[in-house]
Amino acid sequence: MRTMADLSNTLFFVALGAYIAAMVAAFFAMAFTRVAVDGRMAPTVTGRRMGVTVTVLAATGLAAHVGSVVARGVAADRVPWANMYEYSSVMALVAVAGGLLVVQWRMGFGHLMGFVLAAAVLMMSAGAMLFVPAGPTVPALESYWLKIHVTAMVSASAIFILAAVATVLYLARDAGERRLADRSGQRYTAGTVGAASIDVTEREHAPAAVSSPLELRRVLSPVWFVVAPAAFFFVWGLMKYDVVRGTSMAPVGALLGVAAWYALPYLPPAAQLDNLAYRITAFALPIFTFAIVCGAIWAEEAWGRYWGWDPKETGSFFTWVLYAAYLHARATYGWRGRRAAWVGLSAFVALMVTYFAVNLVVVGLHSYAT
Amino acid sequence: MAETTTRTQNATDPRQPTGWARLPIIPGPWETLLAVWRRLRKMSTALVLLFSLAIASIVATFIPQAPLVPDTVANWRAGTAGPGAPIARMFDAAGLFDVFGSWWFTTLTVLLVVSLTGCLIPRYRAFWRNVRRPPAAGRNLERLSNHTVLRTTLDPTAALAVVDGLLARRRFRRRAIDVTTTRSGREQIAAERGHWREGGNLLFHTAFYVLLIGVAVAQAFGFAGQINVVEGGTFTDTRIVYGNVRAGRYFGIDDHRGFQVRLDDFDASYHANGTPDDFVSTVSIIEDGDVVRSGVRVRPNHPLRHDGMKLYQLRFGMAPHVIVKAGDTVLFDDRVMLGNSGGVWTGTAKVKTSSPDQIALDLALLPDFAVDDRGRPFSRSEQPDAPVLFADLWVGELGLERAVDASRFIREGEPVAGTTLVPGGTSDPLLANLTVEFADLPLWSGFQVSHAPGRWTMLAGSVLLLVGLISSLYGYRRRVWVEAHRTDDGMTTVVVAGVALQRKVVFADAFAALVAAVRTALPTEAGAAAQETTMTDAHHG
Repeated sequence: MRTMADLSNTLFFVALGAYIAAMVAAFFAMAFTRVAVDGRMAPTVTGRRMGVTVTVLAATGLAAHVGSVVARGVAADRVPWANMYEYSSVMALVAVAGGLLVVQWRMGFGHLMGFVLAAAVLMMSAGAMLFVPAGPTVPALESYWLKIHVTAMVSASAIFILAAVATVLYLARDAGERRLADRSGQRYTAGTVGAASIDVTEREHAPAAVSSPLELRRVLSPVWFVVAPAAFFFVWGLMKYDVVRGTSMAPVGALLGVAAWYALPYLPPAAQLDNLAYRITAFALPIFTFAIVCGAIWAEEAWGRYWGWDPKETGSFFTWVLYAAYLHARATYGWRGRRAAWVGLSAFVALMVTYFAVNLVVVGLHSYAT
Repeated sequence: MAETTTRTQNATDPRQPTGWARLPIIPGPWETLLAVWRRLRKMSTALVLLFSLAIASIVATFIPQAPLVPDTVANWRAGTAGPGAPIARMFDAAGLFDVFGSWWFTTLTVLLVVSLTGCLIPRYRAFWRNVRRPPAAGRNLERLSNHTVLRTTLDPTAALAVVDGLLARRRFRRRAIDVTTTRSGREQIAAERGHWREGGNLLFHTAFYVLLIGVAVAQAFGFAGQINVVEGGTFTDTRIVYGNVRAGRYFGIDDHRGFQVRLDDFDASYHANGTPDDFVSTVSIIEDGDVVRSGVRVRPNHPLRHDGMKLYQLRFGMAPHVIVKAGDTVLFDDRVMLGNSGGVWTGTAKVKTSSPDQIALDLALLPDFAVDDRGRPFSRSEQPDAPVLFADLWVGELGLERAVDASRFIREGEPVAGTTLVPGGTSDPLLANLTVEFADLPLWSGFQVSHAPGRWTMLAGSVLLLVGLISSLYGYRRRVWVEAHRTDDGMTTVVVAGVALQRKVVFADAFAALVAAVRTALPTEAGAAAQETTMTDAHHG
């Protein structure tokens, strides 16, 4: 089984490399895209080739990734998502698969792939830092509920990643669209601001701005796009590890921020991004709820109580409440749009804190990380 | 009646000159209550309450909670860990060490339930009204964003019957509108679907009441306690044997079943790399002196159910069988349950509790004894492959008669003597004629015993919650109208139109599919293509 474990590790890094290459290609594909004043986009010949390259690379990475997870399962002789390394890996896998199949292929938002891949790469890197050799788990995890509860949880988390990507990009694009509308002295319609009543038809989705989307880069200064993510990544690294790692993570944040600023004109209109974020969240929340319910049933089976406010349970409750608040906020006048998006984003941060911090920092019954 | 009159007078007092600035009315208790109720019914209030709940749970994640980790909390209170004793005192005052048991968390929950009820009652009413109301007749169908005009050779009544069948297959609620009541004077079918959106919404929110009932039942009628028992030992299900008891108000001492559990065997197995593989307690159940079940294996994730109680494998440990003799007189003969403190199993044996000259043993056990480079003993693994027992003998006024934990006897100066033993070994006479024997090394097993009613209520609540959530997210209300009338050329014109209140993009697709089906089902003149004009707004994208 040694060889299977090695194969799994090799394929993991093959997948990671392919994702990084695909991500770079995705940003190049934007550079080779012409944007008309009305927002219509047409790739140049190079741009089209780049787009194909992205898909091929991401699909190759995905295949290698599936191989890595399967080999890991064979090596450990159990479901391969029972510790943080494996969980992070599967989360990235589902996110890329969802990005490729749903966001790019089904919904046609190809220009979001770069960011989806970036999120997957981050998740895999975080997982690689928590690597443990393939092996059996502790007796407490040996239950068929591991398959049900953790599978549902990992899927929901991965889908929430997609929603968070859409939300962040919505906030950026929406800020730009508002600024543009302000400059040109238009009053915005319900379509752009607050983008986001839950159901708007395509006509209402059309951006109100008459300026070229390329103007979006001019009206929004790149400074905040560098500073804010760099600071966020620094704090995140500081909290999770130490000053050194925090400092080394800050440039990653800055780079992603610049990428988001660069991508502004190529993104779908804010209203569509917001609607996308909502639809993805609405898809993931029932799965997340199901996962929590299964967790409670398993806890009853393993520990003799279905809910004990263990840090992980508290954290997932907290995350659930915030996602529920997001859905309510979107249906509440005066909250929909940017405010709701911030709620959704804070829910995602809560999800990540529940996943990383509760496993690594707080000691509880779920601290089976390493 | 009198009261009503007064109130009316207050509102428009005829004696008050008009145009005068009115003094602000100081709200009485009734008005205040009404204002609070109105405020609670607002969605934005519910959102704020939800956020407060979220913040409370962050606090509970990062500040240790007394019901979960009492030792850590004790350290925080003493100032030996955490931010210091003064801050810990402030935390205590705010109930932050037991967030979910604090008065403000309870208040928050109650406010949320009141807010929920306030939101739900009018919505139930509206839902009930809407569901019972038959689909309303449509007007000016050509102006709706989704509409199509088709022509067919069938007469209007027959054409509508065909479409009615199609709508029935799509599970629409339909109503034939009386010709005399339509403004256009044309035959019409009004159809409607998608009450599940609001229904699911209400179901989702109602599920919280079910969950609350489940929690209340578990709190009131539940029981949980823990017990440790050595291999070969037996315990009886009675209140006094358990530690860490959490018993509901209505689970009395008489509610314990009184059956006996005998631990026949405990087995801990490990993988080659030393990580645990499985812990199995094999137990028998004895009722009224008869063994009713035997060879029952209790393992993590595999609790034992018996007579409404559940027995969970919780922990285990070493229990060396120690015999202390003074000459030939046996002073102590018992298996001492040791606890794991960092790889070393430690514990205390109270040998002689009567004064004078009380005797106690401090025990330390290394399950897999070895000596490191610097000559210090350590345990190679957790498995008792080479157990070695260290015993320190204490004699004198040890305070063993006090009702405190045995490990806290009074230790002054140095132990009288010490000895190192392997299984089967007996020490040389330590003090006068005292000998200590390490007979063998059985294991002990720790169980949680619990009675948790309300589990099925919780499960039912969860299922309702999930079903409600899904249908409220994916259901959508839509209405479709079909109108037919005879034109001058003898053909029949059929107008199909529809609107959706939510998910309009999805509806546009569904509407197109419906129109396609109608077109296929309605016969047109042989050879002639169906003439139609279509206008579907949501199809630009």
